[in-house]
Amino acid sequence: MTEKNTHSDQFYIEGLLQNDSAVIQSIYKKFAPKVKNYIRMNSGDDDAAADVIQEVLIAIYNQAKTKGLQLTCPFDAYFFLLCKRRWLNELKKSSNKGVTIKDDTLSISESVQELVLQAEAFDEKQSLFDEMFQKLGEKCQEVLKLSFVLKTMEEVAHQLNVTYGYVRKKKSLCTGQLTEMIQQSNRYKSLKK
Amino acid sequence: MNEEAYNSFESYLNNEMSTEERLDFESKLQDDSQFRESFELYKETSAFLEHKFSAETQDFKKNLASVSKDYFSEEEEEAKVISFKPWYYAAAASVVILLGTWIFMKGPTPEYGDYDQHENASFIERGDADKNLKNAQDFFNKKEYGKAVVSFQKIQNLDNPEHQYFYAIALIETDNYVKAEMLLNEIQHGTSVYKNKAIWYSALSELKQKNMEECKSLLRQIPEDSEDYDKAQELLKELD
Repeated sequence: MTEKNTHSDQFYIEGLLQNDSAVIQSIYKKFAPKVKNYIRMNSGDDDAAADVIQEVLIAIYNQAKTKGLQLTCPFDAYFFLLCKRRWLNELKKSSNKGVTIKDDTLSISESVQELVLQAEAFDEKQSLFDEMFQKLGEKCQEVLKLSFVLKTMEEVAHQLNVTYGYVRKKKSLCTGQLTEMIQQSNRYKSLKK
Repeated sequence: MNEEAYNSFESYLNNEMSTEERLDFESKLQDDSQFRESFELYKETSAFLEHKFSAETQDFKKNLASVSKDYFSEEEEEAKVISFKPWYYAAAASVVILLGTWIFMKGPTPEYGDYDQHENASFIERGDADKNLKNAQDFFNKKEYGKAVVSFQKIQNLDNPEHQYFYAIALIETDNYVKAEMLLNEIQHGTSVYKNKAIWYSALSELKQKNMEECKSLLRQIPEDSEDYDKAQELLKELD
Protein backbone atom coordinates (compact mmCIF):
# COMPACT_ATOMS: atom_id res chain seq x y z
CA MET A 1 0.00 0.00 0.00
CA THR A 2 1.48 3.36 -0.96
CA GLU A 3 1.46 6.59 0.98
CA LYS A 4 -0.94 8.35 -1.34
CA ASN A 5 -3.65 5.78 -0.75
CA THR A 6 -3.74 6.58 2.92
CA HIS A 7 -6.87 8.42 3.95
CA SER A 8 -6.49 11.65 5.88
CA ASP A 9 -8.40 10.04 8.76
CA GLN A 10 -5.25 8.04 9.46
CA PHE A 11 -4.64 10.44 12.36
CA TYR A 12 -7.32 8.61 14.35
CA ILE A 13 -5.23 5.44 14.06
CA GLU A 14 -2.07 7.31 15.06
CA GLY A 15 -3.90 8.84 18.01
CA LEU A 16 -5.00 5.41 19.22
CA LEU A 17 -1.45 4.12 18.85
CA GLN A 18 -0.16 6.98 20.96
CA ASN A 19 -2.90 6.52 23.52
CA ASP A 20 -3.84 10.15 22.98
CA SER A 21 -6.82 10.89 25.21
CA ALA A 22 -7.97 13.86 23.15
CA VAL A 23 -8.17 11.73 20.00
CA ILE A 24 -9.95 8.90 21.82
CA GLN A 25 -12.45 11.35 23.26
CA SER A 26 -13.11 12.83 19.85
CA ILE A 27 -13.71 9.35 18.41
CA TYR A 28 -16.37 8.85 21.06
CA LYS A 29 -17.91 12.23 20.50
CA LYS A 30 -18.08 11.95 16.74
CA PHE A 31 -18.69 8.28 16.08
CA ALA A 32 -20.20 6.67 19.16
CA PRO A 33 -23.69 8.20 18.80
CA LYS A 34 -24.29 6.42 15.50
CA VAL A 35 -23.22 3.07 16.94
CA LYS A 36 -25.34 3.64 20.01
CA ASN A 37 -28.42 4.36 17.93
CA TYR A 38 -27.85 1.37 15.74
CA ILE A 39 -27.53 -0.97 18.71
CA ARG A 40 -30.55 0.55 20.45
CA MET A 41 -32.63 -0.03 17.33
CA ASN A 42 -31.47 -3.63 17.25
CA SER A 43 -32.36 -4.96 20.69
CA GLY A 44 -29.36 -3.66 22.58
CA ASP A 45 -28.78 -1.05 25.27
CA ASP A 46 -26.08 1.48 26.09
CA ASP A 47 -24.02 -1.04 28.04
CA ALA A 48 -23.92 -3.26 24.99
CA ALA A 49 -22.89 -0.29 22.85
CA ALA A 50 -20.14 0.64 25.31
CA ASP A 51 -18.76 -2.90 25.16
CA VAL A 52 -18.89 -3.16 21.38
CA ILE A 53 -17.15 0.19 20.91
CA GLN A 54 -14.42 -0.66 23.39
CA GLU A 55 -13.79 -4.07 21.85
CA VAL A 56 -13.59 -2.64 18.35
CA LEU A 57 -11.17 0.10 19.40
CA ILE A 58 -8.97 -2.45 21.15
CA ALA A 59 -9.01 -4.64 18.04
CA ILE A 60 -8.00 -1.69 15.86
CA TYR A 61 -5.25 -0.82 18.32
CA ASN A 62 -3.95 -4.39 18.40
CA GLN A 63 -3.76 -4.63 14.65
CA ALA A 64 -2.19 -1.21 14.20
CA LYS A 65 0.40 -1.97 16.85
CA THR A 66 1.46 -5.42 15.72
CA LYS A 67 0.90 -5.36 11.99
CA GLY A 68 0.48 -1.75 11.06
CA LEU A 69 -2.78 -0.35 9.75
CA GLN A 70 -3.12 1.97 6.80
CA LEU A 71 -6.57 3.46 6.51
CA THR A 72 -7.66 3.67 2.89
CA CYS A 73 -11.21 4.79 3.63
CA PRO A 74 -12.93 7.19 6.03
CA PHE A 75 -12.64 6.18 9.67
CA ASP A 76 -16.38 6.62 10.12
CA ALA A 77 -17.32 3.94 7.60
CA TYR A 78 -14.64 1.54 8.79
CA PHE A 79 -15.45 1.94 12.48
CA PHE A 80 -19.19 1.76 12.03
CA LEU A 81 -19.10 -1.40 9.94
CA LEU A 82 -16.80 -3.10 12.45
CA CYS A 83 -19.14 -2.20 15.34
CA LYS A 84 -22.21 -3.23 13.44
CA ARG A 85 -20.85 -6.62 12.44
CA ARG A 86 -19.59 -7.29 15.93
CA TRP A 87 -23.03 -6.54 17.32
CA LEU A 88 -24.70 -8.79 14.76
CA ASN A 89 -22.36 -11.55 15.80
CA GLU A 90 -23.27 -11.01 19.43
CA LEU A 91 -26.95 -11.29 18.58
CA LYS A 92 -26.40 -14.46 16.63
CA LYS A 93 -24.48 -15.99 19.52
CA SER A 94 -27.08 -15.13 22.14
CA SER A 95 -30.10 -16.32 20.20
CA ASN A 96 -30.42 -19.50 18.27
CA LYS A 97 -32.97 -17.90 16.05
CA GLY A 98 -31.67 -16.50 12.83
CA VAL A 99 -31.33 -12.78 13.12
CA THR A 100 -32.83 -10.85 10.29
CA ILE A 101 -31.63 -7.35 9.98
CA LYS A 102 -31.73 -5.20 6.93
CA ASP A 103 -28.40 -5.58 5.22
CA ASP A 104 -27.02 -2.64 3.31
CA THR A 105 -23.61 -4.10 2.56
CA LEU A 106 -24.12 -3.35 -1.11
CA SER A 107 -23.71 0.33 -0.56
CA ILE A 108 -20.33 -0.14 1.06
CA SER A 109 -17.23 0.58 -0.92
CA GLU A 110 -14.70 -2.12 -1.66
CA SER A 111 -11.86 -0.57 0.30
CA VAL A 112 -13.99 -0.50 3.47
CA GLN A 113 -15.02 -4.11 3.01
CA GLU A 114 -11.47 -5.22 2.45
CA LEU A 115 -10.18 -3.42 5.54
CA VAL A 116 -13.00 -4.76 7.67
CA LEU A 117 -12.39 -8.35 6.61
CA GLN A 118 -8.70 -7.91 7.33
CA ALA A 119 -9.47 -6.52 10.78
CA GLU A 120 -11.83 -9.37 11.57
CA ALA A 121 -9.35 -12.01 10.48
CA PHE A 122 -6.70 -10.41 12.65
CA ASP A 123 -9.00 -10.15 15.64
CA GLU A 124 -10.12 -13.75 15.23
CA LYS A 125 -6.51 -14.86 15.49
CA GLN A 126 -5.89 -12.68 18.53
CA SER A 127 -8.89 -14.10 20.32
CA LEU A 128 -7.77 -17.63 19.50
CA PHE A 129 -4.33 -16.91 20.98
CA ASP A 130 -6.04 -15.41 24.02
CA GLU A 131 -8.32 -18.38 24.48
CA MET A 132 -5.44 -20.83 24.29
CA PHE A 133 -3.38 -18.78 26.71
CA GLN A 134 -6.20 -19.05 29.24
CA LYS A 135 -6.06 -22.82 28.85
CA LEU A 136 -2.37 -23.05 29.71
CA GLY A 137 -1.40 -24.27 33.17
CA GLU A 138 -1.28 -21.64 35.87
CA LYS A 139 2.47 -21.85 36.33
CA CYS A 140 3.01 -21.35 32.61
CA GLN A 141 0.69 -18.37 32.53
CA GLU A 142 2.52 -16.79 35.43
CA VAL A 143 6.00 -17.32 34.00
CA LEU A 144 4.98 -15.99 30.59
CA LYS A 145 3.18 -12.98 32.02
CA LEU A 146 6.05 -12.02 34.25
CA SER A 147 8.67 -12.55 31.57
CA PHE A 148 6.97 -9.94 29.43
CA VAL A 149 5.98 -7.59 32.24
CA LEU A 150 9.38 -7.45 33.89
CA LYS A 151 12.47 -6.26 32.08
CA THR A 152 14.84 -9.17 32.56
CA MET A 153 14.59 -12.90 33.17
CA GLU A 154 16.79 -12.37 36.23
CA GLU A 155 14.00 -10.28 37.74
CA VAL A 156 11.47 -12.96 36.89
CA ALA A 157 13.61 -15.59 38.60
CA HIS A 158 13.97 -13.38 41.63
CA GLN A 159 10.26 -12.63 41.77
CA LEU A 160 9.32 -16.31 41.58
CA ASN A 161 12.11 -17.38 43.90
CA VAL A 162 13.62 -19.85 41.42
CA THR A 163 16.83 -19.99 39.37
CA TYR A 164 17.47 -18.13 36.14
CA GLY A 165 17.99 -21.41 34.29
CA TYR A 166 14.60 -22.66 35.40
CA VAL A 167 12.58 -19.66 34.21
CA ARG A 168 14.52 -19.49 30.95
CA LYS A 169 13.71 -23.10 30.19
CA LYS A 170 10.15 -22.78 31.44
CA LYS A 171 9.53 -19.77 29.23
CA SER A 172 10.51 -21.53 26.00
CA LEU A 173 8.65 -24.69 26.98
CA CYS A 174 5.48 -22.81 27.84
CA THR A 175 5.59 -20.75 24.66
CA GLY A 176 6.15 -24.01 22.75
CA GLN A 177 3.21 -25.63 24.49
CA LEU A 178 1.05 -22.65 23.62
CA THR A 179 2.00 -22.90 19.94
CA GLU A 180 1.07 -26.58 19.95
CA MET A 181 -2.32 -25.88 21.47
CA ILE A 182 -2.93 -23.19 18.88
CA GLN A 183 -1.87 -25.46 16.04
CA GLN A 184 -4.12 -28.28 17.15
CA SER A 185 -7.23 -26.19 17.61
CA ASN A 186 -9.99 -26.39 15.04
CA ARG A 187 -10.25 -22.65 14.94
CA TYR A 188 -6.65 -22.37 13.80
CA LYS A 189 -7.19 -24.94 11.11
CA SER A 190 -10.16 -23.07 9.74
CA LEU A 191 -8.22 -19.79 9.88
CA LYS A 192 -5.45 -21.25 7.76
CA LYS A 193 -7.81 -22.32 5.03
CA MET B 1 8.69 -30.05 18.24
CA ASN B 2 10.77 -30.97 21.27
CA GLU B 3 12.20 -29.06 24.19
CA GLU B 4 15.49 -28.50 22.43
CA ALA B 5 13.84 -26.95 19.40
CA TYR B 6 11.84 -24.50 21.54
CA ASN B 7 14.97 -23.63 23.43
CA SER B 8 16.76 -22.86 20.18
CA PHE B 9 13.82 -20.70 18.96
CA GLU B 10 14.11 -18.66 22.13
CA SER B 11 17.89 -18.27 21.83
CA TYR B 12 17.61 -17.27 18.20
CA LEU B 13 14.92 -14.67 18.85
CA ASN B 14 16.89 -13.23 21.77
CA ASN B 15 20.10 -13.07 19.77
CA GLU B 16 21.87 -15.38 22.16
CA MET B 17 23.52 -17.67 19.60
CA SER B 18 27.14 -17.77 18.51
CA THR B 19 27.75 -17.14 14.82
CA GLU B 20 28.17 -20.83 14.19
CA GLU B 21 24.99 -21.80 16.02
CA ARG B 22 23.07 -19.14 14.16
CA LEU B 23 24.23 -20.32 10.75
CA ASP B 24 23.30 -23.89 11.65
CA PHE B 25 19.91 -22.73 12.80
CA GLU B 26 19.24 -20.70 9.68
CA SER B 27 20.18 -23.51 7.35
CA LYS B 28 17.80 -25.77 9.23
CA LEU B 29 15.07 -23.17 8.73
CA GLN B 30 15.79 -23.26 5.01
CA ASP B 31 15.79 -27.03 4.65
CA ASP B 32 13.16 -28.22 7.07
CA SER B 33 9.72 -26.82 6.29
CA GLN B 34 8.09 -28.25 9.40
CA PHE B 35 10.81 -26.72 11.57
CA ARG B 36 10.31 -23.43 9.78
CA GLU B 37 6.57 -23.48 10.25
CA SER B 38 6.93 -24.19 13.97
CA PHE B 39 9.44 -21.39 14.29
CA GLU B 40 7.18 -18.90 12.52
CA LEU B 41 4.30 -19.72 14.85
CA TYR B 42 6.63 -19.52 17.86
CA LYS B 43 7.75 -16.09 16.74
CA GLU B 44 4.20 -14.95 16.20
CA THR B 45 3.14 -16.29 19.61
CA SER B 46 6.02 -14.48 21.30
CA ALA B 47 5.08 -11.24 19.60
CA PHE B 48 1.46 -11.75 20.65
CA LEU B 49 2.45 -12.24 24.30
CA GLU B 50 4.82 -9.31 24.25
CA HIS B 51 2.09 -7.06 22.94
CA LYS B 52 -0.57 -8.45 25.28
CA PHE B 53 1.45 -7.79 28.41
CA SER B 54 3.24 -4.61 27.37
CA ALA B 55 2.75 -1.62 29.62
CA GLU B 56 1.56 0.39 26.61
CA THR B 57 -1.27 -2.02 25.88
CA GLN B 58 -2.33 -2.07 29.53
CA ASP B 59 -2.26 1.74 29.67
CA PHE B 60 -4.25 2.01 26.49
CA LYS B 61 -6.96 -0.29 27.80
CA LYS B 62 -7.18 1.57 31.08
CA ASN B 63 -7.39 4.92 29.36
CA LEU B 64 -9.98 3.67 26.89
CA ALA B 65 -12.13 2.31 29.72
CA SER B 66 -12.08 5.63 31.49
CA VAL B 67 -12.91 7.65 28.35
CA SER B 68 -15.75 5.26 27.61
CA LYS B 69 -17.09 5.55 31.12
CA ASP B 70 -16.95 9.34 31.02
CA TYR B 71 -18.66 9.44 27.66
CA PHE B 72 -21.52 7.16 28.58
CA SER B 73 -22.15 8.65 32.01
CA GLU B 74 -22.21 12.15 30.56
CA GLU B 75 -24.82 11.07 28.06
CA GLU B 76 -26.91 9.69 30.87
CA GLU B 77 -26.61 12.90 32.80
CA GLU B 78 -27.74 14.98 29.85
CA ALA B 79 -30.79 12.80 29.51
CA LYS B 80 -31.68 13.44 33.13
CA VAL B 81 -31.60 17.23 32.99
CA ILE B 82 -34.90 18.65 34.21
CA SER B 83 -36.31 22.12 34.37
CA PHE B 84 -34.45 24.20 36.88
CA LYS B 85 -36.33 26.77 38.94
CA PRO B 86 -34.60 30.14 39.45
CA TRP B 87 -34.46 29.95 43.22
CA TYR B 88 -32.46 26.74 42.91
CA TYR B 89 -29.63 28.85 41.59
CA ALA B 90 -29.32 30.77 44.81
CA ALA B 91 -29.29 27.57 46.80
CA ALA B 92 -26.83 25.99 44.44
CA ALA B 93 -24.54 29.02 44.58
CA SER B 94 -24.38 28.95 48.35
CA VAL B 95 -23.56 25.27 48.27
CA VAL B 96 -20.75 26.01 45.83
CA ILE B 97 -19.38 28.71 48.12
CA LEU B 98 -19.54 26.43 51.13
CA LEU B 99 -17.93 23.63 49.23
CA GLY B 100 -15.24 25.95 47.92
CA THR B 101 -14.28 27.12 51.40
CA TRP B 102 -14.35 23.59 52.64
CA ILE B 103 -12.03 22.37 49.91
CA PHE B 104 -9.84 25.39 50.43
CA MET B 105 -9.47 24.67 54.12
CA LYS B 106 -9.02 21.02 53.66
CA GLY B 107 -5.25 21.10 53.17
CA PRO B 108 -2.94 18.89 51.12
CA THR B 109 -3.83 16.22 48.59
CA PRO B 110 -4.64 12.78 49.95
CA GLU B 111 -1.91 10.21 50.35
CA TYR B 112 -1.71 6.47 50.53
CA GLY B 113 -0.97 6.80 54.24
CA ASP B 114 -4.54 8.00 54.81
CA TYR B 115 -5.82 4.63 53.66
CA ASP B 116 -3.39 2.05 54.97
CA GLN B 117 -5.62 0.58 57.66
CA HIS B 118 -6.09 -2.93 56.29
CA GLU B 119 -8.50 -5.51 57.57
CA ASN B 120 -6.97 -8.48 59.38
CA ALA B 121 -6.23 -11.70 57.57
CA SER B 122 -7.81 -14.76 59.09
CA PHE B 123 -7.48 -17.74 56.81
CA ILE B 124 -6.15 -20.26 59.25
CA GLU B 125 -8.45 -22.50 61.14
CA ARG B 126 -7.18 -24.25 64.21
CA GLY B 127 -5.14 -27.33 63.40
CA ASP B 128 -4.47 -26.25 59.85
CA ALA B 129 -1.08 -27.55 58.86
CA ASP B 130 0.33 -25.03 56.40
CA LYS B 131 3.04 -23.24 58.34
CA ASN B 132 3.77 -20.67 55.62
CA LEU B 133 0.18 -19.62 55.41
CA LYS B 134 -0.03 -19.27 59.18
CA ASN B 135 3.17 -17.17 59.22
CA ALA B 136 1.94 -15.02 56.35
CA GLN B 137 -1.28 -14.32 58.23
CA ASP B 138 0.44 -13.55 61.53
CA PHE B 139 3.07 -11.27 60.02
CA PHE B 140 0.40 -9.51 58.01
CA ASN B 141 -1.72 -8.82 61.07
CA LYS B 142 1.34 -7.55 62.92
CA LYS B 143 1.96 -5.21 59.97
CA GLU B 144 5.33 -6.86 59.28
CA TYR B 145 4.72 -6.84 55.57
CA GLY B 146 8.23 -7.69 54.40
CA LYS B 147 8.15 -10.92 56.38
CA ALA B 148 4.59 -11.62 55.25
CA VAL B 149 5.71 -11.37 51.62
CA VAL B 150 8.50 -13.89 52.23
CA SER B 151 6.00 -16.33 53.75
CA PHE B 152 3.51 -15.85 50.95
CA GLN B 153 6.26 -16.57 48.42
CA LYS B 154 6.88 -19.95 50.03
CA ILE B 155 3.30 -21.09 49.59
CA GLN B 156 3.11 -23.69 46.85
CA ASN B 157 -0.18 -23.03 45.14
CA LEU B 158 -1.31 -19.54 45.75
CA ASP B 159 -4.56 -19.75 43.84
CA ASN B 160 -7.03 -18.86 46.57
CA PRO B 161 -8.28 -15.30 45.89
CA GLU B 162 -8.38 -14.49 49.58
CA HIS B 163 -4.70 -15.38 49.98
CA GLN B 164 -3.81 -13.56 46.79
CA TYR B 165 -5.65 -10.49 48.04
CA PHE B 166 -3.72 -10.22 51.29
CA TYR B 167 -0.48 -11.08 49.51
CA ALA B 168 -1.14 -8.18 47.11
CA ILE B 169 -1.68 -5.75 50.00
CA ALA B 170 1.59 -6.85 51.58
CA LEU B 171 3.30 -6.35 48.21
CA ILE B 172 1.94 -2.80 47.92
CA GLU B 173 3.17 -2.08 51.43
CA THR B 174 6.65 -3.21 50.39
CA ASP B 175 6.57 -1.33 47.07
CA ASN B 176 6.40 -4.46 44.88
CA TYR B 177 3.84 -2.88 42.60
CA VAL B 178 4.16 -4.99 39.45
CA LYS B 179 3.52 -8.29 41.16
CA ALA B 180 0.78 -6.73 43.29
CA GLU B 181 -1.03 -5.35 40.31
CA MET B 182 -0.81 -8.66 38.49
CA LEU B 183 -2.45 -10.45 41.39
CA LEU B 184 -5.11 -7.79 41.80
CA ASN B 185 -5.83 -7.89 38.13
CA GLU B 186 -6.35 -11.62 38.32
CA ILE B 187 -8.69 -11.27 41.31
CA GLN B 188 -10.59 -8.49 39.61
CA HIS B 189 -11.33 -10.73 36.68
CA GLY B 190 -12.37 -13.64 38.84
CA THR B 191 -15.64 -14.20 40.63
CA SER B 192 -14.65 -14.04 44.29
CA VAL B 193 -15.97 -11.55 46.85
CA TYR B 194 -12.60 -9.80 46.57
CA LYS B 195 -13.32 -8.82 42.97
CA ASN B 196 -14.21 -5.18 43.62
CA LYS B 197 -11.91 -4.79 46.59
CA ALA B 198 -9.11 -5.65 44.19
CA ILE B 199 -9.93 -2.54 42.12
CA TRP B 200 -9.83 -0.42 45.26
CA TYR B 201 -6.38 -1.71 46.15
CA SER B 202 -5.15 -1.29 42.56
CA ALA B 203 -6.18 2.34 42.93
CA LEU B 204 -4.36 2.63 46.26
CA SER B 205 -1.27 1.14 44.64
CA GLU B 206 -1.35 3.90 42.02
CA LEU B 207 -1.97 6.46 44.75
CA LYS B 208 1.09 5.27 46.62
CA GLN B 209 3.12 5.63 43.43
CA LYS B 210 1.58 9.09 42.96
CA ASN B 211 0.03 8.14 39.60
CA MET B 212 -3.03 10.24 40.25
CA GLU B 213 -4.64 9.87 36.84
CA GLU B 214 -4.42 6.06 36.90
CA CYS B 215 -5.69 6.12 40.44
CA LYS B 216 -8.74 8.15 39.45
CA SER B 217 -9.49 6.01 36.44
CA LEU B 218 -9.51 2.89 38.66
CA LEU B 219 -11.65 4.54 41.31
CA ARG B 220 -14.25 5.30 38.69
CA GLN B 221 -14.44 1.61 37.84
CA ILE B 222 -15.63 0.63 41.30
CA PRO B 223 -19.32 -0.25 40.99
CA GLU B 224 -21.92 1.49 43.09
CA ASP B 225 -23.03 -1.61 44.95
CA SER B 226 -19.59 -2.46 46.25
CA GLU B 227 -18.37 -1.95 49.76
CA ASP B 228 -15.64 0.51 48.79
CA TYR B 229 -17.82 2.71 46.60
CA ASP B 230 -18.29 5.52 49.13
CA LYS B 231 -14.62 5.62 50.05
CA ALA B 232 -13.75 5.65 46.36
CA GLN B 233 -16.08 8.56 45.60
CA GLU B 234 -14.71 10.51 48.50
CA LEU B 235 -11.13 9.97 47.40
CA LEU B 236 -12.06 10.89 43.83
CA LYS B 237 -13.49 14.17 45.06
CA GLU B 238 -10.36 14.94 47.01
CA LEU B 239 -8.14 14.17 44.06
CA ASP B 240 -10.01 16.46 41.68
